[in-house]
Amino acid sequence: MAEQGRVAPRLRLCRGCSQFVRLDHADCPFCGGDLDALEADYDERRDELRRATDALRRAMADRGEEP
Amino acid sequence: MNELPVRYAGEEESAARIPVSIVWEITLACDLACTHCGSRAGRRRRDELSTAEALDLVEQMAELGTRDVGLIGGEAYLRKDWLEIVAAVRAAGMECGLQSGGRNLNAERIAKAAAAGMQGIGLSIDGLRDVHDEVRGVPGSFDLAVAALRNTAASGMVATVNTQINTRSLPQLRELMEIIIDAGATNWQLAITVAMGNAADHPELLLQPWQMLELMPLLAELSLEARERGVFLQPANNIGYFGPHESTLRNVVEDEIHWHGCVAGDTVFGIEADGTIKSCPGLPRDYAGGNIRDRSLRDIWENSEPIAFTRRRTVDDLWGFCRTCYYAEVCMGGCTWTSHSLLGRPGNNPMCHHRALEMDKAGLRERLVKVKDAPGHAFDHGEFALLVEPAVPAARPARVPDRILVHG
Repeated sequence: MAEQGRVAPRLRLCRGCSQFVRLDHADCPFCGGDLDALEADYDERRDELRRATDALRRAMADRGEEP
Repeated sequence: MNELPVRYAGEEESAARIPVSIVWEITLACDLACTHCGSRAGRRRRDELSTAEALDLVEQMAELGTRDVGLIGGEAYLRKDWLEIVAAVRAAGMECGLQSGGRNLNAERIAKAAAAGMQGIGLSIDGLRDVHDEVRGVPGSFDLAVAALRNTAASGMVATVNTQINTRSLPQLRELMEIIIDAGATNWQLAITVAMGNAADHPELLLQPWQMLELMPLLAELSLEARERGVFLQPANNIGYFGPHESTLRNVVEDEIHWHGCVAGDTVFGIEADGTIKSCPGLPRDYAGGNIRDRSLRDIWENSEPIAFTRRRTVDDLWGFCRTCYYAEVCMGGCTWTSHSLLGRPGNNPMCHHRALEMDKAGLRERLVKVKDAPGHAFDHGEFALLVEPAVPAARPARVPDRILVHG
């Protein structure tokens, strides 16, 4: 088999300013935010939104409505 | 959208160098006269592949693991055996799509394409009626393209629109989106007009680097609006890179997707109608890896040096702004086709959002000035000088400044 192709390094998304940053940063070089803390906050808000969406779907289903 | 289109390659396929997606110019014959045509299409090449050669090539593609074959021209339907090729691609287990200007893609042709197994048609629509007809060189071509889009959607095939972004079409993108959604498009691929072929003769059409500051927020906005209406906006490989809208624009199934460099010759390649294999369909002949009349496709794919440039390239091969950019190791200078067409070699790409933002922060902007004409053949390019000037209009001198970074 021929040689391998290129696989680029991955970046992570800063949830504070939406810039992609290198994995070795603790703080975003663009907005200065704490990347892990911003990620945790984002996850919490996303889970909350999912729970709310699920509850809405269930309520609509109980009323016989299409979600 | 829950699943990636099959033409998208994953990391494993990149590492294994599977040519997941192929763009195949099956003829250079064309019924339009586009001001920005990179291949300067019109007449068919004298030595286009025969039907037997084309069908053999289809088998070779399937053997390499290709999943998606996009037929282009010229105008692919002007080749008499185009439906035979479509059927062969499908019979070999690959997906098949067509990219067309749509001038003579009438309902009958669309029905025949669907019957042959074609799964999607992309219509090139480059602005509203006035701009499209002007840049496509044929009055009435806009209405014909939109009619073809409607007929494609009605046929059950995936109806896509491809739009060139240039100085004429940029102000019309929002209005154009309404028209194509109304006509049934579910995918909208946008690409910046590249300074190649006929476009190199029309520098007035080309966007300037600082216009990324206007373009990228607009595309992000349109992308979100389109998604809410069931339309998937796809930025082509020459749109980017990074900046605050990268995730919005590159997002397909999850928001951590980002640009990871040119994949020409790693998971994609292009074929010219005479059997020339290039790592990307847009690149000039310098990147031709060989011809399938001389060598097998596998031999070219695995052993041809001109096709290997993306996997050979390192940060040390980058130059200009890109050489010291924060994203250099990931981005590798963005689209090879764009940078080579502008500056004569890859590795320094001024058509970049992050770069324009950084320049703007420093009160500067870059401007491209054509300094050399293209010789006038298919996939040729001229040459541009890259000037750095103050970003504030009032601070700019009336004439071209003397200082300035000229590429090289």
